[in-house]
Amino acid sequence: MATPNITMDPITRIEGQLAIQAVAENGVITDAWAVSKLFRGIEVVLKGRAPEDAFYVTQRMCGVCPTSHGHASSMAVEAADPTFELPNGARIVRNILEGAEWLHSHIFHFYALAALDYVNPAKALQANIADTYALAMEKGIGTADFGAVQARLAKLVEGGDLSIFTNGWWGIDPVANPQAADELYNPDIPAELHLIGVSQYLQGLEMQGTAAQIIAIIGGKFPMPMTSVAGGTAWMPRSDKLDDCLFRLKTVAAFVNDHMVPFTLAIAPYYERELTYGQGVKNYLSWGAFDRPTRRIEDRYLPGGFIKESAGLTTVNRPMVEHVTEDVTHSWYDQESGQRFTESETNIVSDGDFNQDLDGQYSWGKAPRYQRDAMEAGPLARILVAYMDQSSQSNSAVREVVDNALATLGTDDPTVLMSTLGRVAARNLETAVAAKWAEEWIEELVVELRTGRAEFWNSYSSSNGEGTGVWEAPRGALAHHVKTANGRITNYQIVTPSTWILSPRSDDGAPGPMEAALIGTPVRDIERPIEAARVVRSFDP
Amino acid sequence: MGSDMTFYETLSERGVSRRDFLKFCGSTAAVLGLSSTFVPALASKIAGAAESGLTPAIWLTGGKCTGCLESTLQARYPNVADIVLDLLTLNYSAASMATGEYALEAKKKVYQGDKPFIMIYEGSVMTGLGGNTMINADGTNSLNDLESAAPYAAAIIAMGQCAVDGGWVRAFPNPAGATGMTEYLRSRNIDTPVVNLAGCPASPEELTAVVVQALLLGTDGTLESGIDAVVDDLDSLGRPKYLYNATIHDSCPRRGHFENGEFVYRYGSEEEAKNFCVYPMGCKGPQTYRRCPMIRWNDSQSWCVESGGICIGCSTWNWVDNNAPFAGRHRRVGAARSGPLAGWPLHGGGLHPIATGAALTGVVGAALVAHGLGMKAAKRVGKNATLKTEEMKEYDRKRLKKQGGAV
Repeated sequence: MATPNITMDPITRIEGQLAIQAVAENGVITDAWAVSKLFRGIEVVLKGRAPEDAFYVTQRMCGVCPTSHGHASSMAVEAADPTFELPNGARIVRNILEGAEWLHSHIFHFYALAALDYVNPAKALQANIADTYALAMEKGIGTADFGAVQARLAKLVEGGDLSIFTNGWWGIDPVANPQAADELYNPDIPAELHLIGVSQYLQGLEMQGTAAQIIAIIGGKFPMPMTSVAGGTAWMPRSDKLDDCLFRLKTVAAFVNDHMVPFTLAIAPYYERELTYGQGVKNYLSWGAFDRPTRRIEDRYLPGGFIKESAGLTTVNRPMVEHVTEDVTHSWYDQESGQRFTESETNIVSDGDFNQDLDGQYSWGKAPRYQRDAMEAGPLARILVAYMDQSSQSNSAVREVVDNALATLGTDDPTVLMSTLGRVAARNLETAVAAKWAEEWIEELVVELRTGRAEFWNSYSSSNGEGTGVWEAPRGALAHHVKTANGRITNYQIVTPSTWILSPRSDDGAPGPMEAALIGTPVRDIERPIEAARVVRSFDP
Repeated sequence: MGSDMTFYETLSERGVSRRDFLKFCGSTAAVLGLSSTFVPALASKIAGAAESGLTPAIWLTGGKCTGCLESTLQARYPNVADIVLDLLTLNYSAASMATGEYALEAKKKVYQGDKPFIMIYEGSVMTGLGGNTMINADGTNSLNDLESAAPYAAAIIAMGQCAVDGGWVRAFPNPAGATGMTEYLRSRNIDTPVVNLAGCPASPEELTAVVVQALLLGTDGTLESGIDAVVDDLDSLGRPKYLYNATIHDSCPRRGHFENGEFVYRYGSEEEAKNFCVYPMGCKGPQTYRRCPMIRWNDSQSWCVESGGICIGCSTWNWVDNNAPFAGRHRRVGAARSGPLAGWPLHGGGLHPIATGAALTGVVGAALVAHGLGMKAAKRVGKNATLKTEEMKEYDRKRLKKQGGAV
């Protein structure tokens, strides 16, 4: 094994704690390792507690996606009672909450976390304001007070303090060395487009907050909303609160449709190179999200399904949780490798070599596999599954959005999405789809309330049993599994999207999805491997 | 007012009107427990500070879920909060920079520089396996990071319950080895002052209040005197008194229903639709010290109990061990019957490891259990509640008379 000559630690602008080690030869990454840096032990904490407590505790897995963990947890606990039926009102409220969280999370990711890999705030200073408006009109991008944004940026630079943008250029001073800084991006991108990007960055910070307010109105607060308890929801809709939600939803939807999506399409042609690397394992898993009344995963608005390249990219199969196993040979766990997820455990090593022996144990993450294969999870997986699954009720809606976007880019081939930039684009297109559905769900809830028989909570018995909740967090496939006896949890297991994406090698040495995506990535300057950073962040890890 | 003009120009550049700014100062003064007459002084202090030097800050993370950073991004009057937080120039934050050594360089520059700086720490201090439950690629771990910065900070703001005491990560029987900042620094003989912002998550209003107090409200305007002012105002658990001196129950809008014996026994019920009290559902509001009903969340949209949920006491010391089971009132779990742990739940056949400070919350907990039993005896709680509102008021009048109180 060659010695890694690229170490990215910490990987910044992500939700969790991650380091990347990679070997680059002749400007291309030939090997890579994703190192999950942190063990927190939520599964261990849940042992012996009351099943309904899991809703509160598991939300603390992820401060960006607590709603999704809460939902998967309540679903798992409810599933332990085979007779339980979720009231229709609660189903709709949960869809709205989850939809709002995706809007929040996707907007936050694209702007606050990913955008600075593509947008150069320093170059935005050179933009001509009139040309910026003209460019925005031409590309169908909503406008803002571009002059004011530029002036604000200029103030920051004058003051010698770039505030939130400090250190965005990998050690290059963008004021003293504007050209070198711009080399990190595509120098052909006009300054005006960068200014539009910076302007949207600032708007995006506000919009993620507006989306989060919808969760707060229904759930009390964000992060860590309180309502989707096992059995249904604690929140009872009131017309004034629904008005508050709808107003915010429409504001956010307009931003997504008029600003975020057209900007993505406008900047994409400058990053054609990013459509050619970062493909990864080309296996995709989605448990499906947003229930329709049947509550079957194939009927979900985003259907549950998996695609494997080996079986053909247009073939969608229904995933079953029994096929998920977890390898731990390369992780710091002291337990049998390859256990079924539903029978798995969480026993960490009592001592170990933590110097990251890349041939041995090097990560706190386990290596989940579906029928022995590493699977990519996330918006790209969901969009591909919905696009390819012709039996899905959402198929035409998703196709329409994706095909329109592809047409703007001059192609009709959805497999271009299977790349670094494609992954980012899939997420942004999914944001538009979710925004549209969320408005429909509020209307659906109003109709449900008008029947006068709307219900929001049902009793259940989870004292003795076993249940799985499969769902999707904004960043991908999520499964919770609970076993109970005498009213207490005897085992609780979670496979998060990060576990799928950041998976280390499996027992047979096959890399995880992010590791595979890094292999083959071109790197112009191994001191400033921005291409590798783009691959990493495209997963929203 | 010449200098003020520039400041208000800056504000308007950021789309903040003078009125918004004063509203922000008003709400911050309220959180700080200052009288409204102090608002103009606060406004001019913020304006003045914004134009003089900035105080460097670094935002370090331990075992965290990013929820406290998320929470901070949901600030009230976001643009104004920006400005106040810009009084701190955030020279390092993993949330907003390039990657790898360039980020580390920026961090080092701050704590090796001459200027006093503030450290905000999010997440628990991970001591398990010699600190290796949170590792770095170079073989060091998060404890090494913490120790290279903590002694040099002018003060550390422990942002959120994980940083305060290890949060849920410390709950039994987790081997991750999570602990809080105060406890860890004490074990390493590092005497940097720590300000605990309890809660899971902590809120932006709480952070802003402490920053304003530390940066602006010192006796002589220096950071040191500001930090002294903050430290003098901490309670016995290291939390700013003005944020944690009253229980959720004290100012809960549903409190009236509690007094009237009007309770919710089932989610989705008629009683919930009427916003009755969720005490029987397990609400920990009566034993939880925080100001959620007043400060609220996400730009004042709502808070836990208003959404129909319960308070789970997330700002309580070792909150998961001490408050679980959250739903219900410990009725399904065995409890120690005597000794110092009376009233505390048994866990999986054994006792929870009781954290420092549990003794204190224990007293509150026991008092609460007694209170609950009293309510039950008075037939106000439980399935057999018989007293209707009018009867209950009558009962109270008689009881007051018996005790010699006013009628």
